[in-house]
Amino acid sequence: MALRRRTLLASGLALGAGFTSGCAGKPLDTLLTQAAHTPRTPATLTWWVSEIPARNGPVVADLIIRAFQRRHPNIRVRKSNALSATDANRAAVTTQLAGASPTPDVYLGDTTWPAQFGANSLALPLQKLLPKDFWEGYPPALRRVSEYRGAVYALPFYTDSAYLFYRKDLLAKHGLPVPRTWEELLRTSRKIQRAGDAAYGFLWQANVSESLTCNVAEFLADADAPVLDGEGKVALNGPGAERAFAMMRQFTETGVSPATVTTYVEADSQDAFVGGRGVFLRNWSYAWGNAADRSASKIAGRVGVAPRPGFDGGGPPGVSCAGGWSNFVNPNSHNLGAAVAFARFCAGEEAQMILLKNAGVIPAMQEVLTRPEARQAGDPTLTMAHGLRLVARPVQTPYYSQVSKALYTQGNAVTGGRTSPAGAVRAAREDIRTALEGRAL
Amino acid sequence: MTAAPSAATVSRQSAPEPAGPPGTPAPREGGPARASRRRKARTGWLFASPALLTIAAVTVFPVLFSVLLSFADIRLEYGGFRIESLTGDHYAAVLGSPEWRQALFFTFGFTVVTVVLELVLGTLAALVLDRLGAARGWVLAVLLLPWALINVVAAQLWGYLYNGTYGGLTWLFGQLLGQQPDILGQPASAMGAMVVVDVWKTTPFVAIVVLAGLMLIPGDVYEAAEIDGANAWTTFWKVTLPQLRPIMAIAVLFRILQAFGIFDLPFVLTQGGPGTATQSLAILGYKTLFQNLEIGRGAAVATTTAVIVIGCCLLFLRLFKAQADEGGRG
Repeated sequence: MALRRRTLLASGLALGAGFTSGCAGKPLDTLLTQAAHTPRTPATLTWWVSEIPARNGPVVADLIIRAFQRRHPNIRVRKSNALSATDANRAAVTTQLAGASPTPDVYLGDTTWPAQFGANSLALPLQKLLPKDFWEGYPPALRRVSEYRGAVYALPFYTDSAYLFYRKDLLAKHGLPVPRTWEELLRTSRKIQRAGDAAYGFLWQANVSESLTCNVAEFLADADAPVLDGEGKVALNGPGAERAFAMMRQFTETGVSPATVTTYVEADSQDAFVGGRGVFLRNWSYAWGNAADRSASKIAGRVGVAPRPGFDGGGPPGVSCAGGWSNFVNPNSHNLGAAVAFARFCAGEEAQMILLKNAGVIPAMQEVLTRPEARQAGDPTLTMAHGLRLVARPVQTPYYSQVSKALYTQGNAVTGGRTSPAGAVRAAREDIRTALEGRAL
Repeated sequence: MTAAPSAATVSRQSAPEPAGPPGTPAPREGGPARASRRRKARTGWLFASPALLTIAAVTVFPVLFSVLLSFADIRLEYGGFRIESLTGDHYAAVLGSPEWRQALFFTFGFTVVTVVLELVLGTLAALVLDRLGAARGWVLAVLLLPWALINVVAAQLWGYLYNGTYGGLTWLFGQLLGQQPDILGQPASAMGAMVVVDVWKTTPFVAIVVLAGLMLIPGDVYEAAEIDGANAWTTFWKVTLPQLRPIMAIAVLFRILQAFGIFDLPFVLTQGGPGTATQSLAILGYKTLFQNLEIGRGAAVATTTAVIVIGCCLLFLRLFKAQADEGGRG
């Protein structure tokens, strides 16, 4: 019996030691060697992809898959439908990836993910597999957010830019121009609200989520107030930052934005806008298609689009958060060569033209935006995309998620009137510092 | 009143006496008898082993592994992971974090408020149901509808009612108060809204459990009380409630365990907002683990939550036992 007990104890200790040391991974060079060769034998890939907004009806992801399969008849691509909400999507895909699952082989992820995913070995570094001139066709801001410590973890697919959507009919009725500053937007909104033509002036997103981080980043850029400095240390401070937070508060304080904007994500603000309750809406480019859809929008045909305003006496209007989605390659994929080929195809001209013609998003490749098809698409967000001033969120830290939380938590508090602009800046600064030191939950 | 013998007492009393004449020491067990008992024990273990292994695999191992992760400095690698060292830093970070304390405060407050409300309302509903005649079945079925709904679906339904743009309740309060309220946008009203949903959904569960307890109380106890001249109020406090205590304790235990792990309601209704006002410990653990990819800290949040909830349950059982003992002596 004693012997058995000893055997049992030894087995337990061995098992414990095994788990304590972990399950060893694979060397990166082996993975890159596999990834460098596109297979000629049959292979099947799984592509984790959330819904790509469509302009014309066909499912955009299916069009891209079919085009890829025509080029690579031996590779089949299966679609795995992912959630559209960034945070829920990340939670779902990281559960699979951190468990070393070989699927999905390729996953479409937010442009804020590369540093975090790269630091945690959840994405394959791809720079050695790309030609030197690969990035020449894409916006520099997109390249910056796709890299972490010199390695490329995401290949561009499409970008998303924020615009100001407005009611053409209401501005025409009151003889008012499209506002170029936030102060002008406040005055215009109040005038139209007082006349009883709209319940609210400005609809945007102030829920505790990444959506609000984008809004905060844009207001801070409008006020020329950086979040991080060149060395990656917290720089959020001063009158510029306070001005940005004060404007968010002013929207709700004056009734230009509903008090419930603190619970709005993109879908809520858009529902209110297409239901005819607001004069202005800040949203991503896909809102154009939704506002113009007569089956879902009460204001179809009465909507215009312009760059976001700036601050009075500040920089020019047209700041937009650099949003969008890129393709990542799962390092545990059993078909690394095929996966890299597919991710590169999605970044290439053929797939980008499919996006231009069919999707309600902005293709990442800059050159295709100058093609005649861009004008023929009838989507003003495509032709305006060139003139925007893209601002990157502070994503080049593996602690971006905590940094973002610091921004949206304080942004929500100040918009809801639970803290002052100066208090919000102080608290956000402190929380970001804690996050960058790796001490935040 | 003499206490009925417990099952353990009965089994001890009916255990066979060793063979042999009275007054003489029992004979020492011989080799064959001992070998037979060992064989039986081995067979027993053999038959029980699949169940024991399953329990070990799905319950014991994940719990122990989670505790191990909460002390581990983990590094993810391509296709694997490495535990670089064991550390108590995750607990220091979690326990020192104001966000964790706020999540604990919210979770604790939510648990206390909902459990008390559900116990009171559930008991009242059960008393009414107990006195219903033929209609009891129908009323019971209607009462159970909220409980039967999937949590996320129920939360989404209430989310529509609370919605700031088109929510029915927002509109109603707007008409009554003359100003549209921001139900989910302010900390106090958001927490209140969440308590309402939980009470609406879970009171039927408590009512059913208490009703089962009521139906088990023998009628002659009430007859005796009536003969002694007890009125309805005295009968409830001196007869019904003491008899219901064990089953109410079970209901409260279940509810503490569920309420402390609250995830779906804040996840659907507020995402933990406004700010972090309705962020429960479970939401905090989820965000730490799956959004921030902080495996060690996420496991530390989970482990501390488990320790606290077990502590709360043990404390409750101790209080309940002390009160029951006191009641028994009285």
